[in-house]
Amino acid sequence: MARLRRAVEEIEARSGPAETHAPGARLSLNRTLDRALGGGLSGDALHEIVPATPGDGGAAMGFALALAARFMAEHSAAGLLMAEDFAARDMGALYGPGLVAHGLELGRLVFVRAPDATALFQAMEEALKSGAPAVVVGEVWRLQKYDLAVSRRLLLAARSGRAPALLVQASAYRAADRISSAAETRFEISAAPSAHLPSAGSERGLPGRPAFAARLVKARLTSARGSPIGLDATRVIRLTWRSEDKQFDEPSISLPLVAASAYGSRAARAPG
Amino acid sequence: MIRNARRLVCLDANAARLGLSAGLTLADARARHPALVACEADPAAEAKLLERLADACARYTPLVALDSADGLMLDVSGVAHLFGGEAGLLAEIEARFERQGFGIALGLADSPRAAWALARYSNRRIAPAGLAGKAFAKLFHEMPVAALGLEEADAADMARAGLRRIGDLAMRPRAPIAARFGVEVLARLDALNGLERDAISPRFAAPDFCAERRFASPIAHVDAVMATLARLADDLVVLLERQAKGARLVELMLYRVDGDVRRIRVGAGRPLNEARAIARLFVERLAGGAEDEIDAGFGVDLMRLSCLVAEPLEPSQREWERAFEAERAAKLADLLDRLSARLGPSRVTRQTLVDAHIPEQAVAAAPAVRGEMRARGEGLGLYLPAEAPSRPLRLFERPEPIETLAEIPDGPPLRFRWRRVLHEVAAIEGPERIAAPWWRRLDAPTRDYFRAEDASGRRYWLYREGLYGRETQRAKWFLHGVFG
Repeated sequence: MARLRRAVEEIEARSGPAETHAPGARLSLNRTLDRALGGGLSGDALHEIVPATPGDGGAAMGFALALAARFMAEHSAAGLLMAEDFAARDMGALYGPGLVAHGLELGRLVFVRAPDATALFQAMEEALKSGAPAVVVGEVWRLQKYDLAVSRRLLLAARSGRAPALLVQASAYRAADRISSAAETRFEISAAPSAHLPSAGSERGLPGRPAFAARLVKARLTSARGSPIGLDATRVIRLTWRSEDKQFDEPSISLPLVAASAYGSRAARAPG
Repeated sequence: MIRNARRLVCLDANAARLGLSAGLTLADARARHPALVACEADPAAEAKLLERLADACARYTPLVALDSADGLMLDVSGVAHLFGGEAGLLAEIEARFERQGFGIALGLADSPRAAWALARYSNRRIAPAGLAGKAFAKLFHEMPVAALGLEEADAADMARAGLRRIGDLAMRPRAPIAARFGVEVLARLDALNGLERDAISPRFAAPDFCAERRFASPIAHVDAVMATLARLADDLVVLLERQAKGARLVELMLYRVDGDVRRIRVGAGRPLNEARAIARLFVERLAGGAEDEIDAGFGVDLMRLSCLVAEPLEPSQREWERAFEAERAAKLADLLDRLSARLGPSRVTRQTLVDAHIPEQAVAAAPAVRGEMRARGEGLGLYLPAEAPSRPLRLFERPEPIETLAEIPDGPPLRFRWRRVLHEVAAIEGPERIAAPWWRRLDAPTRDYFRAEDASGRRYWLYREGLYGRETQRAKWFLHGVFG
């Protein structure tokens, strides 16, 4: 027995402590964000998305749905969009044509409405555990019921079903740094001015692609090689969503193409 | 009020003994017997009660029909031996109804018409099978012609012609009777004979598959009900498997001792043939809302699980790849069934695009339990992912009015106030003009939609209602949706 213990200790000394959870596949978002996240967003955990101010609810949902579209591009399974009744009443219901325009496949989406937060968490947990969906997005309004235990249950359900959970906390603005939960990452999202397209008739341009300013408030970070890396919670990352190819723009090509050609950048001169 | 007076409609046995009769005015009756207790007739409530009794009778046979305002017709072909013969069946029915305080008259015969006549116009209850000739004449020929179920006026006509009993009609040549009273009379006579068969129209179609358990003593515990449910599901699955079918719509009926019947229906997104999956649907439903809780009352003494809609199972797919896909799809269908059972089908939906320009009609939602939706159009191809989304992520059910400031009345706004917050418009695109379809002749004003982005990057979908100068002089502005 003692010999066995020693053997285990030796192995652990050589290759680090045994992990209870082997890290699953990570989803790459874009270069900047991947570096901040240590290789991408894990596909079997709970991620929280919080708007920065009351007016950023739309942006937070837009970011969450962009992530959902990325996850759904990876798997052919369905995506579940769940919301508390109150959220839909206050901020409007999710709108099919808008979701299509945002890069989601409407035929693969299922919409679930829960009468209250408890029912929402229960439904999310069950959906995650079943292993059926590619992603579960939940929008919760009343956060009194959301605590360490509930978030831990969601996290474990995500692990066992190998599906990511994205929880949009619509009413938690300005509280992103104070929430305590078992979530793996937490983003604070605010709207960002889009790259305006030139307008023919007026000085004001046309609104461009959806843009977000994301602040990574919390992350259980380990790099792909296993060593923990630092988290810069004050850094704001600007993201632009390209809905047609379901990707966040790389910062280097986020300039509008017209402007880029005027500067004679490499992007415009590249052959092909 | 019948014929300008309050009249007696129904009497109990005591009143009948006193010589009162239905149709008598209340004033006359009160004059004869001042102590008469009368209460208002309520045909609607009576009809409802009769329907509940019909449901309770479904314990004997699935084919139960309502018969006029005060009768029930049960098709008991091939059922009687389960209750110890025809006499046993009648005794059982009578005992059950008597316990609940109903007095009933029973009749059982080869044809519905004969059973009806026996119940209402005879002391005998059972007409032996294959009755004909003299025996038939003995049983039926003494009955009044009303036992044929004729209109009162017709019966009175016949009485004037001296035809009072069924025998008077049956012994006479048919042609003159048909000529004078119509062929209907002869048809009724044939139906009585069993020569012509009246169809009864049951309240509910008989299920294709059903399993049931009777209990010697009633059960009242939810656990016992659940355990029985699991075993019933096992039985049902065996029946379904024989035909390689799966259940899409399942109904559980709980017959209470006091005559009440509880029906619980659940639907499934794909044909189910696993007992556990079927039982689980009910567990979700019973654990869900307070309205669905089992009220066992004095106990349940019969449970029946029937499959109302069955569909052939899809042939199992062999390849691994497909098996994996199918497993995920099956898991999803199970998940959606459970969620729909708990939250209600209207809360678990799918959406499809519809070919319509009006934004709120461009999408249709349907319960996800019904399985995949058939696309109802391509949605006009307006919403393909492009440079910038043309439609908002969220749409308000009711567009919210906003105050705007614009350079010119029909131009795009410079700034607007929504929910008491002022937004400076930094970028704007529009108008996209959407008018109500003229062929529907709706008088809804035309809308000019704008996509506006404010200084901090929030994007909104605004519209101006009414064409300036043509439809309205003072255009109203609304905020209809929010972009991501």
